[in-house]
Amino acid sequence: MNKVAAGVPLTPHSSTASAGKSIATLLLKLRSVLALALLVVFFSSMTSSFLTANNLSILTKHVAITALLAVGTSFVILAGGIDLSVGSVAGLSGMTAGYLIVHGIVFASGDPHFLPIWLVILLSLLVGGAVGCLNGLLVTRLSIAPFIATLGTLYVGRGVALLISNGRTFPGLAGDAARHNTGFPAFGQAYLLGVPSPVWFMAIITLIAWVLAAKSPFGRHVYAVGGNERAAQLCGINVCRVKISTYAFSGACAALVGLVIASQLEAAHPATGQSFELNAIAAVVLGGTSLMGGRGSIGGSLVGAFVIGVLADGLVMLGVSEFWQMVIKGIVIILAVAVDQLQNRVQLRLAGGR
Amino acid sequence: MARRMLALAVVLFLPALLPMGCKRTGVSHRKLIAIIVPSQDNPFFQAEAVAAAERAKALGYDVRIDSHNDDPYSQDNLIDVAIASNASALILDNAGAEASISAVRRATKAGIACFLIDREIGASNIAKAQIIADNAGGAVLLGKRFAEIMGGKGKYAELLGRESDTNAQIRTTGFHAVLDKFPALVRVSAQSANWSQSEAFQRTETILQAHGDLNGIIAGNDTMAVGAVAAVRNARMDTIKVVGFDGSPDALSAIRAGALDATILQPAVKIAGMAVEEADQFLKTGSTGVPERQLVPCELVTRQNVDEFGTFQRIKPEKARE
Repeated sequence: MNKVAAGVPLTPHSSTASAGKSIATLLLKLRSVLALALLVVFFSSMTSSFLTANNLSILTKHVAITALLAVGTSFVILAGGIDLSVGSVAGLSGMTAGYLIVHGIVFASGDPHFLPIWLVILLSLLVGGAVGCLNGLLVTRLSIAPFIATLGTLYVGRGVALLISNGRTFPGLAGDAARHNTGFPAFGQAYLLGVPSPVWFMAIITLIAWVLAAKSPFGRHVYAVGGNERAAQLCGINVCRVKISTYAFSGACAALVGLVIASQLEAAHPATGQSFELNAIAAVVLGGTSLMGGRGSIGGSLVGAFVIGVLADGLVMLGVSEFWQMVIKGIVIILAVAVDQLQNRVQLRLAGGR
Repeated sequence: MARRMLALAVVLFLPALLPMGCKRTGVSHRKLIAIIVPSQDNPFFQAEAVAAAERAKALGYDVRIDSHNDDPYSQDNLIDVAIASNASALILDNAGAEASISAVRRATKAGIACFLIDREIGASNIAKAQIIADNAGGAVLLGKRFAEIMGGKGKYAELLGRESDTNAQIRTTGFHAVLDKFPALVRVSAQSANWSQSEAFQRTETILQAHGDLNGIIAGNDTMAVGAVAAVRNARMDTIKVVGFDGSPDALSAIRAGALDATILQPAVKIAGMAVEEADQFLKTGSTGVPERQLVPCELVTRQNVDEFGTFQRIKPEKARE
């Protein structure tokens, strides 16, 4: 893909082919949006309760989880890496929050100290960021392949999450007024202006990520590192720092997801987030981001997350069997990548390449 | 060129939509009962889901079966979808006693009558009913039978279920309430095999290496018991008595074949049917007419009475024991 990327413009918004031939590429580029529209039309015609305000609110809330993970992972993938640890990090951050709320912090001597909720949330996010940094360090300093490094932290993270409670669930995260740590359930359950809080998180994080990716020097550096690492290094980009930042951002996003889920369940469950990384990667790929790095966009990942979410909830509402749901999800992912390759070839031909 | 590419793209996406065109749910005016179970590839959960669905269809409801794969978050999503589809009642085998409370509360608030089967949650007065098999009673029953076939003496190993699962603890407590009264019955090894057949196989192989003079194995569920039976056979130590718990089809055929000595059958089919009937009663009259927590007794299955049982249900009346 790197070779292809060298033939076509590297950046996501400067690839306008000559006007007459651009309709095909435009349609192909908008394919995930088209697929999403198709799905919405299809499900609306099949079930009357699909296109209701209530269901759309619930649907978007579900999509927010995948979207937050996908947006976080997007940077890692754009920079040519992969992050398999996000599901474990989500579980770990939820368990961290659960531990802090239920047991507090015990210093060398004396009684446990219970932290206010904002600090619990901050610490749990930091745990996620720290695991991300660790991923980054393993990849850059020890030159471990990203797939292996994050596979390792996937297991370590899940193991530590289970160790924190010895495999049990932390129940009753509502907190205790006497300990001044109530309010955690509101984090993922509250509504602001009629919109559920996870949707706000999704909107804010996506906006930040979009500005970072499309408008900031950092974003240029990420695309450059993913497109051609050696060239980026020769241009004076601090490749290591860029990579570590992408993993840290991904870890923090995953931690946020873990907190939202723990808050919604009012309980922290160590197995939370199992196989979330696959949903996140699927959303990123559906959004047209190349797994080889250097090509793709944040907006694409958001649309990808919506495709997966609409498909998942819609199929459940239709009463399609669980086994068919898996088959269909797999087919959609394969088709998305097949069309992606098609787009590459079309663009290449239109650009007068090989 | 452009047209060809577009046509190709459309054709590529179409097959994905085909398998879904099976039924319209939006046009029906019948009430919906949502059934959510842990998984549909496990015979126990499959039996309870199918039993509930058949009973509900017979009573004139629309039904939908989903599974949460023991993931509380996935369960949360499925309950949201049930709320959005205006389900009248929910039959739920939940994903964790504590982690399920908020989801059940949300469904109840949204006007869905919740009926919990097989597993309880750690809160009362939210669900309309919590109907479970009497695991503690069943464990005592199995403990007694095990002591009997062991002749009240000898060395045995115990295979425990997943440590975080309440049923694993309830069962082992029930076993030991009986077994610990026999001073000549010595537990030489206790290992968790996480309810899994392959783990039980490996653990048992290791245990047999360490204890060549083992006389019996008591397992927390049938999946592990069947794994243990395979290990015992491989080691040609067929004199070892093995007992399990659940009454799975595999275990029943192992009992028929003489490889397994006893199991406890959980009446999953009966429980699922009860839940649906109580839901029907509640939707028609506003009350189930029975207390929230209901314990359904388990049954001991041995070589003598194995033919009286089908898939997680009694199919023939009890014969007088000799």
